[in-house]
Amino acid sequence: MGSSGALTRSVRRFLGRPGTVGSTGLRPLVRRAGEREPALRELTDAELGAAVDALRTRIEAKGGAEPRGRAEARGEVGTRKASAAPWDDDALVELCALGREAAFRALGERAFDVQLLGVLGLLRGTVVEMATGEGKTLVGALAAAGFAVQGRRVHVLSVNDYLARRDAEWMRPVYELLGVQAGYVTQESTHAERRAAYARDVVHVAVGEVGFDTLRDRLRTAASELVLPEPDVAIVDEADAVLIDEARIPLVLAGGVAAGSDEAEAARVVEGLVDGLHFEAETDGMTVHLTDAGVTEVERALGVDNLFALGMDTRLSQINVALYASVLLRRDVDYLVRDGRIRLVDANRGRLAQRQRWPDGLHAAVEAKEGLVVGPRGEVLDQLIVQDLIGGYPTVAGMTGTAVIVAEQLREFYRLETGDLPPNVPCVRVDEPDRLYDSEASRDAALIDLVERTHATGRPILVGTRDVAKSEQIGVVLRELGLRCAVLNARDDSREAAIIADAGAVGAITVSTQMAGRGTDIRLGGRDGKDHERVTELGGLLVVGVGRYPTRRLDDQLRGRAGRQGDPGTSVFLTSLDDESITRHAFDPPPRSARVEDDGRIRDASVRRYVEQAQRVAEGALLDGHRTTWRYNRQLRLQREEVLDLRRRVLHDDEAARLLAELRPERWAELLDEVGESVLAEAARQLFLYDLDAAWSEHLARTADLREGIHLRALGRQNPIDAFHAETQRAFVALIERAQAAAADHLDTAHITGSGLDTEQSDVQRPTSTWTYMVRDHPFTAMDEPFLTTIGKRLRTAGREG
Amino acid sequence: MLTAFARAFRTPDLRKKLLFTLAIIVLFRIGSHIPVPGVSFEMVRSCVEDSNRNSLFGLVNMFSGGALLQLTIFALGIMPYITASIILQLLTVVIPRLEALKKEGQSGTAKITQYTRYLTIALSILQSTALIATARSGALFSSARSATCDPQGIVPDDSLFRVIVMVAVMTAGTSTIMWLGELITDRGIGNGMSILMFVSVAAGFPAALWTIKEQGTIGGGWVPFFTVIAIGLVMVGLVVFVEQAQRRIPVQYAKRMIGRRAYGGTSTYIPLKVNQAGIIPVIFASSLLYIPALIAQFSGGKSDWAVWIERHFVKGDHPLYMITYFLLIVFFAFFYVAITFNPEEVADNMKKYGGFIPGIRAGRPTAEYLNYILTRITWPGSLYLGMIALVPSIALVLFNANQNFPFGGTSILIIVGVGLETVKQIESQLQQRNYEGFLR
Repeated sequence: MGSSGALTRSVRRFLGRPGTVGSTGLRPLVRRAGEREPALRELTDAELGAAVDALRTRIEAKGGAEPRGRAEARGEVGTRKASAAPWDDDALVELCALGREAAFRALGERAFDVQLLGVLGLLRGTVVEMATGEGKTLVGALAAAGFAVQGRRVHVLSVNDYLARRDAEWMRPVYELLGVQAGYVTQESTHAERRAAYARDVVHVAVGEVGFDTLRDRLRTAASELVLPEPDVAIVDEADAVLIDEARIPLVLAGGVAAGSDEAEAARVVEGLVDGLHFEAETDGMTVHLTDAGVTEVERALGVDNLFALGMDTRLSQINVALYASVLLRRDVDYLVRDGRIRLVDANRGRLAQRQRWPDGLHAAVEAKEGLVVGPRGEVLDQLIVQDLIGGYPTVAGMTGTAVIVAEQLREFYRLETGDLPPNVPCVRVDEPDRLYDSEASRDAALIDLVERTHATGRPILVGTRDVAKSEQIGVVLRELGLRCAVLNARDDSREAAIIADAGAVGAITVSTQMAGRGTDIRLGGRDGKDHERVTELGGLLVVGVGRYPTRRLDDQLRGRAGRQGDPGTSVFLTSLDDESITRHAFDPPPRSARVEDDGRIRDASVRRYVEQAQRVAEGALLDGHRTTWRYNRQLRLQREEVLDLRRRVLHDDEAARLLAELRPERWAELLDEVGESVLAEAARQLFLYDLDAAWSEHLARTADLREGIHLRALGRQNPIDAFHAETQRAFVALIERAQAAAADHLDTAHITGSGLDTEQSDVQRPTSTWTYMVRDHPFTAMDEPFLTTIGKRLRTAGREG
Repeated sequence: MLTAFARAFRTPDLRKKLLFTLAIIVLFRIGSHIPVPGVSFEMVRSCVEDSNRNSLFGLVNMFSGGALLQLTIFALGIMPYITASIILQLLTVVIPRLEALKKEGQSGTAKITQYTRYLTIALSILQSTALIATARSGALFSSARSATCDPQGIVPDDSLFRVIVMVAVMTAGTSTIMWLGELITDRGIGNGMSILMFVSVAAGFPAALWTIKEQGTIGGGWVPFFTVIAIGLVMVGLVVFVEQAQRRIPVQYAKRMIGRRAYGGTSTYIPLKVNQAGIIPVIFASSLLYIPALIAQFSGGKSDWAVWIERHFVKGDHPLYMITYFLLIVFFAFFYVAITFNPEEVADNMKKYGGFIPGIRAGRPTAEYLNYILTRITWPGSLYLGMIALVPSIALVLFNANQNFPFGGTSILIIVGVGLETVKQIESQLQQRNYEGFLR
């Protein structure tokens, strides 16, 4: 690298390539903030607060009309105008200086210059890449305070409730010194607490939680119940994970109780099937299907003539779903069974996923497979993908340890620019090239050997695995050899903090899933850092990855556990040709030329390229999936906007009353005499909202149904996405009219008394219970691509033959 | 349909896209008229006028919008790019490294697109050199050696420098076309390459129509002129009708369980087009029929069999030619459908993802059913293709028109195909703004 790398970087920056928003223009500001420091140190807390107020007044006086002082870098071109910020340089300098001082007084931590650079980066609405252990939380808090001082409302979006609460409480003194009101929301917060928290300047909240609040707000029946104000500024922690990896996970609000079908029977039938004879699974682990013999066997077991006859589709669905659950979803890899419930494992984080479940039937099928009580289920009332949630904020900024690698996607999906910050102390970690083995067994043997030899020196080791089962298996082997090790995975996350605190101690061996790979800070020399120097002499933390993760970012996150804040450290990945990333995504058998050494090691360069390519294929597949979801979702989002717009008018205005009075004038007049105007208007509102929400829920179900088979249109030379848009639009055009007509019909039969609408008698009862969850990608849906590829291949073969 | 166009124009960003596309088309047409430096424009002109359009380059010339024979800077048209894309697509199947790239998703595809561009440049260097050589040798205007046309005079100065300049200009022209096409795809309406092809083909219409008027005798040429236009319109209508026609085979996906399923299956189907093969069979058949004529020409055209070919297979008005042409098209239609639509593969794919045709078992029975439907629907499709393709030959007999009869099968199929595709895209964009579409 060296100078040529620097040259490439500046050329890329000049060309405005993604991921190159520089910090050069900001450095003088940080220097000036440093010059302000001695003067501010002299002030009392009250005077500091007065200085913040002065800054606030100055900004208000200038108003939004003030153009940016500095000629803004190209980074701003075409990005969302976060910089609607009426900031000039002086205000930025003052804010940085005040923020640093407040943090110093409140936490005893003096913000580094690079942290202030990060704050400035966030304030101009970019995604900032910062190395581990550089203090992202403080950066986020200071930027949030900065936006708040401008009079904007900020949501600091974290990945889970624990972090939201921890950060809010940790940063509270800083916010207080800066005169900013801050709060947090977690899953346990009550309705009143939520309202109060969201009314503050800065709210720390998990992404999913704010999403669910958005969904619930969309179904409120009274304006006074809304908890969320209009979205304004979002500062996203672990931005790549939230914006890219989780972007297409739909958050779902479900309600009502649909009758459960008999999953147990399907599970029993499927249990009797034999792999290879009755069913076949694809090597990519995505699909499984019955063979002809399997169909016959199922028909025999169920006692039916033809499984594909009309009216058999529910039965057939159950069998298919049960088969999928039984063959392709693996216990301790894809899910755990805990407290009699199925808990999904988040593959990207290696920990239990909060509130996630599979789409309805599949989740029940897994429960049936494990012999658990089949849980409640309902109809999807509304859903929202994380990408649309974030897209609703006029200003978005983010921070993470791995952003540049996804800069292009951030630009494509969010119009966000990305830049990286140099670490405070240069990173001296050594990233060794991968060591590749011919089989899992020889790789594991080499791993144990490496751990054993390194452990003898006393150097701490972190072993990262892909799934829970593997981490436990390695833990068992190590313990059998008499090596003490801590195993950290989704199954036992209660001791997480303790295990991480000790992971850098002399002689520590920690085996973990990706759980330890993101967001954890491993201090060398144990929790108090007393052996720091000794561990440094031993070479710092050794990070060993067992097989590559599905994306390079996850690899980098794991590596990032070593070499924090200038500490030494080493990282190495041990891969084998049996790894899932290779068996699932490599398209050919490995090159034959490879020479396998006695211990199973392969040093052949062609094989190494082959392994790397498999990972790129995996990343490409993920990205294509994201893009496809995004395209299909676009139309639905526009339609939802339109319905919500109408809904808002109904909620805040007397739109429903006007409409129903027009549609049923006689009935309206009659009711008006009976119950009076205000009661009737309220009843009309309830009726119309009920029918509008029901119509939307039905529309969602219809489009989900359509989505599954739309790829078949490619066979008739149609673009499936265009066809999907045309069909959904056709269904949508009538939606609002249908809802209006239904509300009018309901009015005819409604029981409205002086005390209002009797929903039960009027047959417009809303679901008694609603619950929220996230849906894992429907395992069957991402099939556009393979299908088109197959067709494409045929075409090309045809071309070759012709 | 016109009102829908007006609606599209009222939508600001759609209007911008339409105007942008039109502007690019204008640029493209202007470039098709600027001669390459070093070419004697007068000489080209008189040669083109004299030349019998029934030359071997007829089809290629049509694809370049007549620019080929004019030796303009866009003489090569979009053919090099199309050829390059086809070659790259084939190579993707053959070369593992390319296939690997393709599998990496967007970033890999972007690289392949880049390779396609390089190959386009290479091909256009090759083709422009060949074009200049054939122009000088006189082969470009095969039977055009007359008093006014002297092929040697087309490129008066054939010094190396001159030739290099000409090749460079034509290559640059092709790259520009490639860029224009990509601009349309990115910022305009429709697929850039298809649109430019559409423009090239349509550009030949007015001149060809005028020739009919000039050569016609009845009513001062106006009678055949309007008759041809009327036939053309009827044919366009017919082609639009058939191209839209499809048989919908309902499919259900049995993998989700929802309470209400009243609407299930109504919009999930396999659309089997009547003309599933598109334009390919016509192109295959006419290319194949060129071969005997080519051989005859190279052999000198003196021997008995060459004379026989000359009589039966060179001009399209002989019944033997027509029948052979027709049968070849029907054959290729079936051949192509059999290759591109593999019922077993489709059935297999459906089975894998839980799809089935109601009442029919997944797997082999589904494949057999699809095959049965496909065969039945391809019969009318192939007969239709054959008849459309024969129109110029019949016109040749009726009006004694030349073979570049404007409403030839190939050109109408291209025009309608691209037109429908583009209109559908506009429609889809309009729908995003909740307007009703063009095609009800």
